[in-house]
Amino acid sequence: MVPTPYYIAVSALLMTIGSVGVLTRRSAIMVFLSVELMLNAANLAIVAFARQWSASGVEPALSGQAAVFIILAIAAAEVAVGLGILVAIFRNRVSTDVDELSEVRL
Amino acid sequence: MIGFVILALVMLLGGVGVVTFRQPVHAALSLVATLLALAVTYVTLQAHFLAAIQVIVYAGAIMVLFLFVIMLLNVQGQEPAPHLRWMRPAAYAGALVVAAGIATIAFIDRRPLPGADQVAALQGGSAEQVGTLLFSHYVLAFQLVGVLLLTGIVGAVSLAQRGNPAAPAEPRGEAAPERELTHG
Repeated sequence: MVPTPYYIAVSALLMTIGSVGVLTRRSAIMVFLSVELMLNAANLAIVAFARQWSASGVEPALSGQAAVFIILAIAAAEVAVGLGILVAIFRNRVSTDVDELSEVRL
Repeated sequence: MIGFVILALVMLLGGVGVVTFRQPVHAALSLVATLLALAVTYVTLQAHFLAAIQVIVYAGAIMVLFLFVIMLLNVQGQEPAPHLRWMRPAAYAGALVVAAGIATIAFIDRRPLPGADQVAALQGGSAEQVGTLLFSHYVLAFQLVGVLLLTGIVGAVSLAQRGNPAAPAEPRGEAAPERELTHG
């Protein structure tokens, strides 16, 4: 059985890779993909910690998994709305460069 | 352990691919590889229901949505460097420091985690167990997620049909950015 710190280390690496993507890419869709990567890194850490807490009963362990389930649903809603905004922006400006989108309007 | 190393390598290489590939389609497929490896990792962590949900919702629905939008926008690989010249090296350096810091703390901190000796006791993560908890202890959060999803549907639909749907499509390519907003 793999100890929990290994999972946390992988999760931290995934999270930082995602943050590099958010900081360095200019296409909005690439920024979105990097955000998805960061969300999944957080999920991995939560599930690993949930298994760690399973010694204190089944309910704490499954609470972590329930939290990840709710995060998944929120991520789905976020992607739907975010991509809708992206398409609306592209319709008006033909570009999705985040460095050029400095106004709060479509 | 060997299985975990393979899974971690797939996840990390997939993540690097997401950040470095020029073509958005390649980056999206690289993210699919990461998500599938993550689903297998969930199985090793006794979260079987989450593994299934990960494949169905993330690798299935969300990534298909991404690929549709990439095709719809028809974005190509060209992407200039960031405006801020120092952004790229600063991002790499900061990420390196943060990742090394978290990993070091995770390994060096020797305070015993609760019940570290009997961690393997968990035999669960089935849909029945997680569902029972969701519908009893976390039923409020579950309902709120339902409201959030409904709001998301309404928002996405209203964004998609902004403007007059009966009007002819405006010409692509030379669309003036200063066009007046038409509220639908």
